[in-house]
Amino acid sequence: MIGNDIVDLVQAAIDSNWKRKGYLDKIFNSEEQFMITSGIHPSMIIWLLWSMKESAYKIYSREAKLREFAPLKLQCSNLIIHNDTATGNVSYENELYYTESYFDEHYLHTIASTKLEELGKVEIKITDHALFDYKKTKPASVSHHGAYLALVYL
Amino acid sequence: MDRAELIARLTPIIATYAQDKDAVASINETTDFIKDLKINSANLVDVILDVEEEFDIEIDNLSMERMLNVSAAMEIIEEKLKTK
Repeated sequence: MIGNDIVDLVQAAIDSNWKRKGYLDKIFNSEEQFMITSGIHPSMIIWLLWSMKESAYKIYSREAKLREFAPLKLQCSNLIIHNDTATGNVSYENELYYTESYFDEHYLHTIASTKLEELGKVEIKITDHALFDYKKTKPASVSHHGAYLALVYL
Repeated sequence: MDRAELIARLTPIIATYAQDKDAVASINETTDFIKDLKINSANLVDVILDVEEEFDIEIDNLSMERMLNVSAAMEIIEEKLKTK
């Protein structure tokens, strides 16, 4: 199963003030906070880790048919960042999820799967037309945020 | 604090982050933060921090996990106010 999450970085900057007291502590453990504060682009790392957690959570909640808001239980590790891509792992409730992310100055997108090989096989479509009738195209995972719609096909 | 007062203090907090403003007008105990009000999940943290400030309580991680709708939020607030 595949999960995906898109973050419109402009929208995120408007909607969320991560510098707010207590904000990071509710979402990120101390290792994750270290990754955030030790780099030169803290907000980029915040949304990267956030989208990793979200994309893994989407798989879990679909499979377990359970909803909860437990960002601290979704733990990111092995994060490797290249120029405009990143890979990592998220662990949650004894399950390990592999993630792959892409980012530019406008948005950040992550896909997650319990099977590493599945990540290479998917087709990703990112559009800024959030109103287009995508349901007939039967995407395996859908995410929208701000101006963006991300569809992942298996 | 009775439940009417509680929901009256809770509503403006939720309304700040709700993207579906029409749904705000009909907030009741069954209203779901994400499904009904379309609150962005990153803003759920703000809801929790605002609730902590407004009621001067601390919401632990376990409580936060289930704070996805108005009735759960009210239960958690009442519980925390009792043990204050």
